[in-house]
Amino acid sequence: MRLTRWTALWLALAAAIVAGVMIGTLRLSVHDVVSGMLGVGEPMPIAVVRTLRLPRVLLAALVGAGLGAAGAALQGATRNKLAEPYLLGVSGGAAVGAVLATALRAPVALVPLAGFAGALAAVALTLLVARASGGRGDARVVLMAGVVVGAFANSVIMVALANADAAAVRGALWWMMGSVAEASWMQVQVLALFVAVGIAALFALGRAIDVLALGDDTAAGLGVDVTRVSLGVYVAGALLAAGTVSAAGLVGFVGLLVPHLVRLAGARTHRSIIGAASLAGAALVVCADLIARVARPPAELPLGAVTALIGVPFFLALLRRLA
Amino acid sequence: MRFNRQLVPSLALASLVVAVSGCARTDAPTTAALVDDFGDTLIVGNAPQRIVSLNPTTTELLFAIGAGSRVVGRTTYDFLPREVLAVPDLGQGLRPNVEAVLATHPDLVLLYASADNREAARRLRASGVTTASYKLDRIADMARVTSTLGRLVGDTLAARRTIDSVQATIDRIRRQTSTLPHPTVFWPLWEAPLLSVGGGSWLNELLEIAGARNVFAELPQPSPAVTFEELLRRDPDAILSGPKTRLRLMADPRWKTLRAVQVGRMLVIDTTMINGPSARVGASAVSLARLLHPDVKF
Repeated sequence: MRLTRWTALWLALAAAIVAGVMIGTLRLSVHDVVSGMLGVGEPMPIAVVRTLRLPRVLLAALVGAGLGAAGAALQGATRNKLAEPYLLGVSGGAAVGAVLATALRAPVALVPLAGFAGALAAVALTLLVARASGGRGDARVVLMAGVVVGAFANSVIMVALANADAAAVRGALWWMMGSVAEASWMQVQVLALFVAVGIAALFALGRAIDVLALGDDTAAGLGVDVTRVSLGVYVAGALLAAGTVSAAGLVGFVGLLVPHLVRLAGARTHRSIIGAASLAGAALVVCADLIARVARPPAELPLGAVTALIGVPFFLALLRRLA
Repeated sequence: MRFNRQLVPSLALASLVVAVSGCARTDAPTTAALVDDFGDTLIVGNAPQRIVSLNPTTTELLFAIGAGSRVVGRTTYDFLPREVLAVPDLGQGLRPNVEAVLATHPDLVLLYASADNREAARRLRASGVTTASYKLDRIADMARVTSTLGRLVGDTLAARRTIDSVQATIDRIRRQTSTLPHPTVFWPLWEAPLLSVGGGSWLNELLEIAGARNVFAELPQPSPAVTFEELLRRDPDAILSGPKTRLRLMADPRWKTLRAVQVGRMLVIDTTMINGPSARVGASAVSLARLLHPDVKF
């Protein structure tokens, strides 16, 4: 990918972050935002900028980066253009964890942790199912195992919600629709660590993913351990997805759409696809969250719904180009 | 079957005619007709002895008018008054298991009148069980439904007494708070998503009676979702919550940006009052007024 395009991506992300911090229900002047950021002047702008908006915008950026990178790597490793970060049962498992925690009236703070645990359990189950059927590294078997685990998770969710009270159902649904409204600096720090490690791992596997794209046999002939590389991508991608899910619930379409966009923009090797998808994903989710909180005040739209509303037309346009 | 379907409405109409003509007479008949919130006609005959109440608020009202000993089925969410816990639990109350309800051999079933319960009401009536469904969402509904329940269970006097007592308390509190300054209040119902008591809720009416102004009163829904920034913009004088939620919110950096949290005006309420406008509405108004105006004797 050309340097001008990388610059454009960084600029887009920077612009999205600035807009995210500037715009909100409360109108703040540029001066207010700057002094709020520096921690001087009136207490109200400082609180809005430092406690409400900055952690929220940064968390959205990290969620987008994680989903973009995970989607890019998984699409490469599975050689499937429809692969996405929630693939290996991540979304279903996370939702089961969160829904059960909500239905059992666990404290609000435990819901993300339950979601994370559910996601990891589902991924482990998917890989075990794939292994039991003898296709640990075989993308098709892993994808099918992921679909089955996801379907099982859905049925668990339906049973749990069928017997939950209305408030718990609303809370669980809201969580499944994704949101960064509860963002805290603690969450930002934890997810930053997660995303940094995850993206670094995928980046290290980037060259091998390029070779995998030539087909398993060719890759093996070129000295790549297909099973190990595939497993590495699945685990790193699923961990990234699970981390973002525990921070923001399910934010759909980002991991599917963004890798397509960056390939269209000229990214060819998987290192550049993963890097560019992180930046583009971050910018996209920050923008989507901005829309989610200003579109219909004083209420807020679910973040996952906004990313899908933006994503679907994009994807349709993309399909027309590909067809 | 076709014959029966035509017969049922005409029978209902006939009984309505009998009832209406009966009302005009001085010697009151033992049967009368009522219409519930689904528009279904109820034939009131002998006082029911086995009542299933699938709305915690109607259950509380039944106990308040002295019909509690006749309740043979309740929802999972019933816990007041304490005696109700001895009554069999028949599930959540919405979309009930009709067979489980029939198994208690009820002669009156009370449902919440929402679309979720429409089909259950139809089936129960088709099984020959008197079924009445009511929307109990506002304070005015409490008086209306209590009065109807009094007629259904055959104790209009107890119903009248309950309504009058609640109304007298509400009127007294309203009179006392009308001259007091009304602090602005935020009453969260859920944290993620952040849900507020809205203008469509009876809790909003309760706040007005108790001498406060809900910061989200202009939103028409009963429990609208709101953004935190919007809450900060409206920066309420006080925040209502249960004791555990209060501790959590006071430690949360986001909530610490609110004036009410900074100055410590986090008022602890009895969270059981949010269940619905039961006969405790008067007592709830008193306890809220005391919380909001600690210097005044109510």
